Amino acid sequence: MYFPYFIAYMAVGFAVSLGVFFWALNRGQFKDQERARYLPLEQRASAPAAKLTRKGRIETVGLFALACCGLAASATAIVFALTQAR
Amino acid sequence: MSPAEESTAHGNQTAKAFTLTSAMWFAFATTFGMIAAGYLVAPDFMANVEYIHFGRVRPMHVNAVLFGFVTPGLIAAAFYYIPRLLRTRLYSERLGVFSAVFWNISVAAGMAGVALGYSQGREYAELPWLVDIMIVISFGLVIVNFLMTIRRRTEPILYVSIWYAAAAVVLTACTYLLGNVVWKPDTGALAGIPDAILLWFYGHNVFGLLLSPMALAVAYYVLPIATRSPLYSHTLSLIGFWSLIIVYTHIGTHHLLQVPVPTWLKTISIVDSVAMVIPVMVFLINIWYTVKGKLGDVHADIGAKFIFTGTIYYFFVNIQGSMMALPDVQRITHFNNWVVGHAHMGVLGFAGVTALGGLYFILPRITGRPLHSRFLADFQYWLVLIGITGFSIVLTIVGLIQGQAWYNGETLYRTLPGLQPYFITRLSLGLLIMVGAYTGLYNVARSLYFNRGAAA
Ligand code: HEM
Ligand code: HEM
Repeated sequence: MYFPYFIAYMAVGFAVSLGVFFWALNRGQFKDQERARYLPLEQRASAPAAKLTRKGRIETVGLFALACCGLAASATAIVFALTQAR
Repeated sequence: MSPAEESTAHGNQTAKAFTLTSAMWFAFATTFGMIAAGYLVAPDFMANVEYIHFGRVRPMHVNAVLFGFVTPGLIAAAFYYIPRLLRTRLYSERLGVFSAVFWNISVAAGMAGVALGYSQGREYAELPWLVDIMIVISFGLVIVNFLMTIRRRTEPILYVSIWYAAAAVVLTACTYLLGNVVWKPDTGALAGIPDAILLWFYGHNVFGLLLSPMALAVAYYVLPIATRSPLYSHTLSLIGFWSLIIVYTHIGTHHLLQVPVPTWLKTISIVDSVAMVIPVMVFLINIWYTVKGKLGDVHADIGAKFIFTGTIYYFFVNIQGSMMALPDVQRITHFNNWVVGHAHMGVLGFAGVTALGGLYFILPRITGRPLHSRFLADFQYWLVLIGITGFSIVLTIVGLIQGQAWYNGETLYRTLPGLQPYFITRLSLGLLIMVGAYTGLYNVARSLYFNRGAAA
């Protein structure tokens, strides 16, 4: 008989999460979301935006190619698994 | 304030200590990984050195990457951004430095324990009982510092990174205690199936409630700064946070789909694994919209470049993960190197790469000087990226061969000769990552302590 413990644990976790959620709600953590978007930005004089250099573009293409390899591998595997599984 | 003034105003000793911790264990951990990979190529490689048998060096590798490299790396960034986002000082730099030192002692004790054979033999929970307690204390020290800093904030709104970082350390301290069954010091385990359920409840939470949220927190902080754009939507990010807390907590049983655990638990884990698409896509849409059209800026900052790459891996590892939780797919992918591929994509490709990005982002800011060498950092980027992408492909292929052979009732030993070339490739790719790790350690150490660059 272990699952009462497991369910009890899940219930406690859920209750604590709810508690924190309502704390956040009451403290106005979900208000003023427009200002929250800017919180990380440091108050420093901003330099002009960097342009994507040629090297940068090659890197982007390289990354994209690597990503495609990954995607292709995953897709092959899933097709394999689904067609072979009975 | 100039960066130099800013860095002296904050001190930043804690962030520095965790940065060095992470870079150092990255080097050690990849060394252990290479030894482990060596055994898979030549099983009697170093066969008579008992301290680094495969059965010991593998858990040393895994625990060193999780608790030595990735977690401290992400914590280093957290010690940087938490005070800044809250517009206050860190509660205590002294406590912070102490926690970093204690953290290193704990991880080192864990390595020594496992090397000497005191493993508890449960995956991700191998560390001996005493070390378990030390790890929980380490997390406890970090929690005190985080929460007290939050209490002393002057900015009322908690930015999403704060939510993620605070939740991650608190939840991990709890699940670590439970998952390692610390109330049974002699075995560190329950008996039978309940033990498996508890173990994987904890095991998955290491990725889901520690590495993922800490890494997302870093991305949410760094990418808006690097691209000088506000976050696309803060509300959306909070939705992502709360949905992650709800669905990620009970999916551990997807590691046990082929084990006699109750069906209702399996069902919950599968449903929640698929539902993970929600927090994942919420994060990705939010962050990709934030950096949209600003790839030039992402490339200009080496930290942001690592982290952006991490988000791409995050996409892959999660799509793959949701598929792997489907029983039909898992019939092929379970119990073989497919999962090891997924593990490296997640823990290195996503969380590890994000941690490295965090380190490179904060380094110039905590030292007040430019990075020792941007070239070396770029060099490391490519070594790690090629290594991990190669790992993903090679291990996926090995997994498919093994999975098909298993499925068709092929005898194990007959598959081995065919696998040899792949394991050799894996070992060579590992060399790239290991060289990357040592390059990074050199660059980090130089940037921290022997930096002759002019103050910025
Ligand atoms: C949507 C999110 C994800 C889902 C649904 C998912 C699903 C899975 C499943 C089903 C397995 C078990 C495979 C098996 O044994 O057959 C697994 C293993 C694993 N996952 Fe994920 N995954 C997700 C994201 C991640 C992330 C982000 C990380 C890393 C930070 C990660 C790290 C791992 C690791 C290390 C293992 C290997 C566990 C072992 O030692 O057996 N996963 N994942
Ligand atoms: C030099 C580079 C590396 C090599 C050669 C290497 C090699 C290995 C080997 C041989 C295993 C055991 C697999 C098995 O039992 O079949 C393993 C497991 C693992 N490694 Fe690595 N590794 C490297 C780098 C990393 C890094 C940097 C990370 C994380 C940031 C990482 C995370 C993991 C994890 C989470 C596992 C457990 C996988 C599972 O249980 O499914 N590795 N690695």
